[in-house]
Amino acid sequence: MQIPGLPESRRAEFESELRRRGIRAGIAGVAWIVLVTVTTGYTNSLVVSTAILAALYVVPWDMLRHGKWVVPTAAILLAVLYPYYRENLYEVPIFGPFPSVDTAVTMTIYIMMAIGLNIVVGYAGLLDLGYVAFYAMGAYTAAWFASPHFAESVGAVHVGSVGVSPEAQGFHISIWLVLIVAGLLTGLVGILIGLPTLRLRGDYLAIVTLGFGEIMPQIARNGDNIFGTGFNLTNGAQGINPIDPPGFGNTISNWTGLPADYLTFNASFLGKEIGGVEVFYWTALALLLFTVFCSVRLRDSRLGRAWIAIREDETAAAAMGVPLMRTKTWAYAAGAFFGGIAGAYYASFKSGTFPDDFFFNISVFILCMVILGGMGNIWGVILGGGFLAYLNQEGLGNIGAQLNDNFGPGGSIVNIWDTPIDVPLYQFGIFGLILVLTMLFRPEGLIPSARRKAEFHEGVQEDYLYDQRGAPE
Amino acid sequence: MRRRESVATQARRLPFPTLSGRLPDYIVPALGVLFVGFLLLWLGVNLIKEPSEFYRLFLIGLTNGAIYGLVALGYSLVYGILELINFAHGDVFMLGGMLVATMVASFGLVDESGLFLWSMILLMLVIVMAFCAILNTTIELVAYRRLRHAPRLAPLITAIGMSFILQNIGLRWKGARPTSVDSILPRGDVFTIGGVAYTWDKLIVLLFTVPVLLLLLWLVQKTRQGKAMRATAQDRDAAAMMGINVNRTISFTFFIAGALAGSAGLLYALYITNIRYDEGFRLGLIAFTAAVIGGIGNLPGAVLGGLLIGFIESFNNGLGWATPGSDWTQSIIFALLIIILVFRPEGLLGERTPEGL
Amino acid sequence: MILRRRGVLGFLILLIAVLALAAASCGGDDNNGGGGGGGGGAVEALPSASCGPIRKGSEDPEMLIASDLPLQGANRALTTQMADAIEYMLEQQDWKAGDVVLGYQSCDDSTAQAGSWDSAKCSSNARSYAANKAVIGVIGTFNSGCAKLEIPIANRATGGQLAMVSPANTYPGLTEGGPGTEAGEPDVYYPTGKRNYARVVWNDQFQGAANAQLAQQLGLKKFFVLNDGETYGQGIATLFIQYAKKLGIQILSNQKWDKKASSYESLASRIQASGADAVFLGGIVCNNGGKLIKDIKAGAPNAQLVGPDGWTPISATVEGAGGAANNMYITQPGVPVDQLTGAGKDFVNGFKEQFGKEPDPYTAYAAQAVQVLMDAIEKGGTDRAAVSSALFDTDITDGIVGSFKIDENGDTTLGKVSVYQVKNGDGAFVKTVTPELSFVEAG
Repeated sequence: MQIPGLPESRRAEFESELRRRGIRAGIAGVAWIVLVTVTTGYTNSLVVSTAILAALYVVPWDMLRHGKWVVPTAAILLAVLYPYYRENLYEVPIFGPFPSVDTAVTMTIYIMMAIGLNIVVGYAGLLDLGYVAFYAMGAYTAAWFASPHFAESVGAVHVGSVGVSPEAQGFHISIWLVLIVAGLLTGLVGILIGLPTLRLRGDYLAIVTLGFGEIMPQIARNGDNIFGTGFNLTNGAQGINPIDPPGFGNTISNWTGLPADYLTFNASFLGKEIGGVEVFYWTALALLLFTVFCSVRLRDSRLGRAWIAIREDETAAAAMGVPLMRTKTWAYAAGAFFGGIAGAYYASFKSGTFPDDFFFNISVFILCMVILGGMGNIWGVILGGGFLAYLNQEGLGNIGAQLNDNFGPGGSIVNIWDTPIDVPLYQFGIFGLILVLTMLFRPEGLIPSARRKAEFHEGVQEDYLYDQRGAPE
Repeated sequence: MRRRESVATQARRLPFPTLSGRLPDYIVPALGVLFVGFLLLWLGVNLIKEPSEFYRLFLIGLTNGAIYGLVALGYSLVYGILELINFAHGDVFMLGGMLVATMVASFGLVDESGLFLWSMILLMLVIVMAFCAILNTTIELVAYRRLRHAPRLAPLITAIGMSFILQNIGLRWKGARPTSVDSILPRGDVFTIGGVAYTWDKLIVLLFTVPVLLLLLWLVQKTRQGKAMRATAQDRDAAAMMGINVNRTISFTFFIAGALAGSAGLLYALYITNIRYDEGFRLGLIAFTAAVIGGIGNLPGAVLGGLLIGFIESFNNGLGWATPGSDWTQSIIFALLIIILVFRPEGLLGERTPEGL
Repeated sequence: MILRRRGVLGFLILLIAVLALAAASCGGDDNNGGGGGGGGGAVEALPSASCGPIRKGSEDPEMLIASDLPLQGANRALTTQMADAIEYMLEQQDWKAGDVVLGYQSCDDSTAQAGSWDSAKCSSNARSYAANKAVIGVIGTFNSGCAKLEIPIANRATGGQLAMVSPANTYPGLTEGGPGTEAGEPDVYYPTGKRNYARVVWNDQFQGAANAQLAQQLGLKKFFVLNDGETYGQGIATLFIQYAKKLGIQILSNQKWDKKASSYESLASRIQASGADAVFLGGIVCNNGGKLIKDIKAGAPNAQLVGPDGWTPISATVEGAGGAANNMYITQPGVPVDQLTGAGKDFVNGFKEQFGKEPDPYTAYAAQAVQVLMDAIEKGGTDRAAVSSALFDTDITDGIVGSFKIDENGDTTLGKVSVYQVKNGDGAFVKTVTPELSFVEAG
């Protein structure tokens, strides 16, 4: 039988690969099904989902003509349909049920930030410990331009406002415009931060970005009265809220059927009742797709190759005519751009922004996503980001509950400890452990980029990747 | 192969391209002079307006600064030898403080005084120094040693990870609320000038820091082990060829740095009488800033940087005239860090040398 | 080896997958194990990530009440007690408000790491209440900052604005404009223009006024005001200043204290130098309040400390500050639980019997909030909008904390502020202060 899209010459290779992966996937799949059935019970979804994943893995799609699109398309399809089949999914042992759609929104937003940081850390090799500053900048941009915050100073300025009465005071700009503005403003901040600091060596750069990451929340916290002038920029610790929800407004909604206002949206679509959360989720997915697309295109562009050159050997790159400062600044700007968009969307999703959301731990949390997934590899970063954001939102809580049920006071298996252990309390300890273990045992991350792996394991050990030693401009 | 220099003259190593490369040569010094001028003006006006207040804040700043300096010494030592920012250092210090809090409570030292109290404090000092020294050495062994030949990013990331792990150990140990330590240091007045008292607890902090610094300088500059440290810092491979056990020397450095963190933890717990699980990290950042300001790798510089930050903090929190106030202290400290790194990365005491520039 | 000849294995697997997918989409409704939090019955439970299982009586509930409290961190002891009280009250009413059979879920708006409310948690909770049509009312929130996020979301809930009754929010701007609020408040929180939020505690305008009156009665003339820079702390400090100035008390300064600072010695030195005879601490004890009190007492030993209800439970203040907290005055809205009468007394006794503990004053308010909400459900039935509007017709006689009405803003008409003084590591009740309404509004 002729396999469609496969040149006959590669058939043997294809089949052996298929066999190799088939055995692996078969064993793993059966083991998984047995494990889940024994621990949390059997449902049809268990077999179906395992089979789909196995099919995606087993066939070496890359060898087929147009085959490289199969896995991404399937992944996008699975993600888009998630709200439809989530309720039928099985319970994972230890981790509990699959994340709620609400959690999935947060996960998607965090993945966007991780991809943004990946441009800086993974592609250009600049360690940024203050990424939260960009997130904050995006969130505050949304807060400025889509909330009653400037009610006193500007009156009512409406551009496609959604979910507020037309007389509402303050800036009420459509969130779609705000997202763009937030990205651009944050990119600008990235450039401003980058210009004086990007000349520094790697670890000094890390510490300077950390400094900026610490200063930003303090500005947010104290910005209700900047230097005693009475100008209220950030509304201090009270934060700015409510921020307008996304939406397309009544006019567009009437034409196209797109939701007018995400918060109040409610409709039946393809046999399921769709509320605001689902729409938030699909929008976040669209933004994520945009981010992934840009990130991939950037990586493969001239600029992207310059970043990698700088990462691998700054001096050599400079000698080959790569303009160091400009290239690095672009990495910063690009990373900041996506961080800003994600921050603005998150602020709109939460409908408020507070200075306490932006502490140093968040920077490390996002860095942890990039490192666990695999620096420089966008699929790894998506995996790492999704997994850690899930752990942070739901997973640790579920795991803690299970542990306490089984081993805690009156535990169903054996009583090991007497006061329940609050697992989510130690989330950052757990993330710290993940950082250390990843760096010690698999520094290239879960899904490494081939290039990065090589850097960690061979080549560049004795000279200093992140070290700019007086390279000429 | 890279060249490495001595701990004391680490700064020499730095061929930083700085902003000054673009500007006319006199601009940066001129700005610096202007800045210092404004600073002196501000201090002077405040001194004239409220002299006793100024004096009191000076004493507070001096004492806090000495503690920062002690923590900063540990950063400087480790950076000098490994070029690694040991983020976990602040948390080792915090765990030391917690150990002291536990010991103070369990030894029942509240109403003690005299010889018994001092011998117990000395005992606690020995215990906490040993504890932190061993902890720090273990961290090096577990988290950094494997990565000695990895890209620089790698140990930096494990250092951050270790810092979080230690914080959570502290969290598990003492909970999220600050642990209150019974006040056992004598708080009576040593002397009083113009209505402002200098209390014993403040003096004790100073009486401790100065000998420690001198001892450390002697250790690094005069002893055999110190010589090995300097050699390792200068060129690890050459040092190994000369028969120096590099691994042992690095372990020894971490041991000393840990002991310093332990002693700082003791002082902090006894003097501040409050310790919280995330305080180590915050203080670690401040201390690292101190080390950078003084010129990282430069031991007296670390103490000088610590004192400077102590003064900035107390004056900014307490002075009355034209002061940004405590809201901005953290921002000012980090802004200073950024300014120093951008304009004078060799620090205040580091010397700028022609090589590499 | 057998596999060698089967080049189409992958396609077979794919085929199976497609078939199975088809099977699943047909038979999708035969397993419903996913989202729920262990409840049963007809109503869909709120997500288990932040809410506990459904508590219910013998009948399966048709509607749900959720409570939204920070169950982790410094206030844990208090908030779990409040959740207990809510369940206790529902049980007393046989899980029925009128004809409506109720269930109850206790939801958490805090994260363990922050140790207090978390903005992401608050808004995600509010969205899940709004989206779950079984939720008829919410008891909460505990923190005013969290309420600012949740009210607008609940206000826009599908199926009519969702009723919220808070036992603890004291920030004035949530319900009315005037002293201590920002421009546009409270309308910004009610985008539909209809109200859905009421509270059973007095707002901070009263507490600020009561604190100012207390200061006057104590003969304190010069105040140094500190605040923790948060919604509540900054708000009450501003209000206190406003009312104190009206009473001729001199305000020397209003400064933030940094909750992350390791020492407040220089701040204390500043207080001492300013010549203040008293310090007003607008903030909460968990923002490093213990250390703050210790340092102020050491640096400015003669200054009298006065604090609002952010310093309750008083045991937490004493635990943090030790002996330094002695003589500090702490005010709290309401009367001490041992002075409650009628239904209040019954509640206190019943609660003590079941849980073996004296309820905190806020626990009594939580119980009161349940009473108000159930009253509204009785009038409004299962219609969200009707329940919300019924809140504003509340007229409670001999309720748990007394007899009172809810006015058209959602504020209670009941107003007494208790004054405690820390003595030997315990809060001793001193007196109650009732500020005149005209004085409060004149601020």
